[in-house]
Amino acid sequence: MKVFGEPIARLEDPRLVSGQGRYLDDLGDQSTLAAAFVRSPHAHARIVDVDVTAALEVDGLVAIYTYDDLAGRVADPLPVLIPHPALHAPRTGYALAPEVVRHVGEPIVMVVATDRYIAEDVCDRIRVTYEPLPPVVGIDNAFRAEHAVHPEVADNIAGHLVQEVGDARRAIDAAPHRLELHLHIERSASMPMEGRGVYARWEPHDRSLRVYSSTQTSTSLRFALAHKLNVPVDRVEVVAPDVGGGFGVKIMHPFPEEILVPWAATRLGRAVKWAEDRREHFISSAHERGQRHTVRVGFDDEGRLLGLDVEFLHDNGAYTPYGVVVPIITATQLLGPYKPGAYRVEFHSLYTNTLIVTPYRGAGRPQGAFAMERTMDAIADHLGLDRAAVRERNLIQPDEMPYDHGLMFQDGRGLVYDSGDFPATLDKIRKLVGWDDFATYREQARTEGRRVGIGLACYVEGTGVGPYEGAHVRVETTGHVHVATGLTTQGQGHETVFAQVAAEELGVPVEDVTVVTGDTRRFKYAVGTFASRAAVMSGNAVALAARKVRAKALRIAAEALSCTPGDLDIVDGVVRSSAGGEIPLKTVAVLANPLRYAFDAETTRATQFAVGGHLDRPPIEPGEEPGLEATDYYSPLRSTFANGAHAAIVETDPETADIRILRYCVVHDCGTLINPRIVDGQIHGGVAQGVGGALYERIVYDDHGQLLNASYMDFLIPYASEVPKIETDHLETPSPLNPLGVKGAGEAGVIPGAAVIAAAIEDAEGFRIDKMPISPSELWELRRRHEAGEVPGLKRGVRP
Amino acid sequence: MKVSGTAFLHGPVESVYAVLNDPAVLVRTIPGCETLEPVGPDAYQATITAGVASIKGSFAGEVHLTDQKAPHSFVLHASGAGAPGTVSADVMVTLTDEGDGVTLLSYDAEAVVGGMIGGVGQRILTGVAKKTAGEFFAAVDAVLTGAAPAVEVPAEAPAEVPAEVGAAPTIFSRPRPVTAPAGGLVPGGDFGLGVAVGAGI
Repeated sequence: MKVFGEPIARLEDPRLVSGQGRYLDDLGDQSTLAAAFVRSPHAHARIVDVDVTAALEVDGLVAIYTYDDLAGRVADPLPVLIPHPALHAPRTGYALAPEVVRHVGEPIVMVVATDRYIAEDVCDRIRVTYEPLPPVVGIDNAFRAEHAVHPEVADNIAGHLVQEVGDARRAIDAAPHRLELHLHIERSASMPMEGRGVYARWEPHDRSLRVYSSTQTSTSLRFALAHKLNVPVDRVEVVAPDVGGGFGVKIMHPFPEEILVPWAATRLGRAVKWAEDRREHFISSAHERGQRHTVRVGFDDEGRLLGLDVEFLHDNGAYTPYGVVVPIITATQLLGPYKPGAYRVEFHSLYTNTLIVTPYRGAGRPQGAFAMERTMDAIADHLGLDRAAVRERNLIQPDEMPYDHGLMFQDGRGLVYDSGDFPATLDKIRKLVGWDDFATYREQARTEGRRVGIGLACYVEGTGVGPYEGAHVRVETTGHVHVATGLTTQGQGHETVFAQVAAEELGVPVEDVTVVTGDTRRFKYAVGTFASRAAVMSGNAVALAARKVRAKALRIAAEALSCTPGDLDIVDGVVRSSAGGEIPLKTVAVLANPLRYAFDAETTRATQFAVGGHLDRPPIEPGEEPGLEATDYYSPLRSTFANGAHAAIVETDPETADIRILRYCVVHDCGTLINPRIVDGQIHGGVAQGVGGALYERIVYDDHGQLLNASYMDFLIPYASEVPKIETDHLETPSPLNPLGVKGAGEAGVIPGAAVIAAAIEDAEGFRIDKMPISPSELWELRRRHEAGEVPGLKRGVRP
Repeated sequence: MKVSGTAFLHGPVESVYAVLNDPAVLVRTIPGCETLEPVGPDAYQATITAGVASIKGSFAGEVHLTDQKAPHSFVLHASGAGAPGTVSADVMVTLTDEGDGVTLLSYDAEAVVGGMIGGVGQRILTGVAKKTAGEFFAAVDAVLTGAAPAVEVPAEAPAEVPAEVGAAPTIFSRPRPVTAPAGGLVPGGDFGLGVAVGAGI
């Protein structure tokens, strides 16, 4: 009967793997118009002229829109979604660029035609004349600010933040040992299998708008659209259909196309659809990751941190619609499970003539973990200590929980770790990977002419940020349970885990629970799916709503069975009393809605001459509502913090510098597990992206701001053949912050990927790895420079 | 994107320089060049068919020459746009007398390739550019050595050029579409940058 915590198979999979999923581009019909966009081929240019003359004769053309055609709020700049005091110079683009384009891919013209082929043909015939302007590409160039991305932001600095606890610089200067490291992570991008897409229908007779978007937040998009299009919000519904992956990029909203497609639908009175193609995804959605860090650290003879000073530069691309969330997360989450001594962090968020930067799974944490864990390894090497031992000495202990770092986190609340057993995590990863026995393995490999190395990396992840999520739970008169929550699903298995939560709370079979997410027709108040928050936020909201329903069911059943609710339990969909009485939950659902009119035998039992009741009290008591249903919300005090550690063993080819992962181990603590199978799946997917971020994936711009690898020919994503077998162990330290005790698990797998693989390569090669991702040719070049004396070796003298 | 290379041409530097500045020769030797119309001193409007693999189409653009130090060097500026994307390039061309009537041509190009061709075809752009430049130099060399006529033979009526364009006296039109040599190195043939590199060299 117990279903919460069980590794049941995903309920949505039979539908999804048998082709029954309905994704954005599956929607619409022959009459649906298609949109396509003319996008800037220049990184920075003034638009001199848009000539559509040659396009007008194309058969099937319906409309061409440029900025001059936009009206009202549609012509306003796009919103700054997350204002922050440190974001002193926010800039956003427009739905269509008015005068200047600031990155390759920025939309300039929207074409609507009878189908996509025609729309694309029309785009080809539109001639845009540009006056190229000097592009700003790369973090160094942006910081040097010889040219500006936005003329009124001459220094290219969008945001600047300093957080400090204690006097870190003084602590470092006074420390017996000091190190300075320069650690870089290159730009990468979410690559969901399904790109973005929007489909909109306008009903002129009641002036209502239905929008489908492949989004991670339908509720917020709804409010944004109502505002932009100046339509009352109750005339707008937004549905996220099946979505083929998000990984963060689809939490950004409203994208220009998300405004323009619905706007065109209202103008034309026709359904309009746009589905992003892969090249558009590369140049017109969003990227992340690009940061350069300078770490100064002071420590004692045992490797204990005394002071940590981190300065980093963050490339935010051409605009800042999503604010400075990513660098704030790096600045805070960098600390991981450690006590830094005095800590100072400072970042500059810089404009460049490249695509915008918004969170990609991990959202600044992979960079932070890379900076911190590389520092731990450097300290160990400097002192000649075991790398795990140095970490152990710096860990926050379980009896120090809750642990307040004295910093402000990305949700505007304190960086306070609620729980976690970091020493146990470290201990488990050492055992799982065989840390203490590796020297033997290395020797054995050496005798075979093989070069191997081991690394480990820890992380702490703030999950389940607020402000809230809600859920609605309704028991039908058939006994079936319908659950609705407002946040969206991109493949995580929400239909399964939320059903498990509701089934457990209500005492019904999990097969009797249906879950709907991301449909504003069913639930209107929500925030969205990001920051590993769905299980924490909606999971608890579903539990709270189901508890309300349960309480109501027991009250009604107690009256029917002439007992008290305390005598009752619900088992397998039947309310049973300790005295032996029972009433099916579906009957309770009938009784919960006093009826004047019956429509079948079941409902006859709820009509006025059938029910008994008290004639001196109304059928619906004050404060009660009809129906066996309830809505509730979960709003946390602050984030709950998951943690974990990864370890990897790699082999590097002595000749070709090819890098192979021999073993990859994960220890993970996301509190109480709702479904261990789904948590494992999340970890596997995260590790796959971590491996990608360490060895393959990078977005490459040239000096002119041209994206050089805008296709899967050149942007490498690991296949199954590149993703190692993942060995996993769990801890379960329940969060004290929420009723279910859960913590988020969605992003964890990716966070320490670059750090742990860099550590293992470094251990194999004997010289420091400061920059990720790394390719075999880059490793080969490092070897050459190391042999030439340009790259110093490790002190511990690993001899390959 | 930077492309540089060298070629040996069979002619004294003066002849090479003259040929490279003769639009009647250029229109016949630039791979994919459809028309080349003088629009001012050392400035031309050009139509060039180019692409990488399936990303192919017609580029309309401008070419002009500056910093001419006859017969030793000049700088060519080319920019064009078309459905496959945009190309702009600055090409420094230097001619050196190697003796025996042979000239060493060195080119050093800085190019910006935008649009689809830049993002999707990038991996093979340099290779295609060099190959196209090689084809161009071979064609120029053929003119220099007399293996090919320096000007169009009227009997070879343009097959793919609109009649009114072909008839316009100031427009130099290509007599026939260029054919890639058998067993070419890169499938898909020529590409805009190589053309731009070659356009005034």
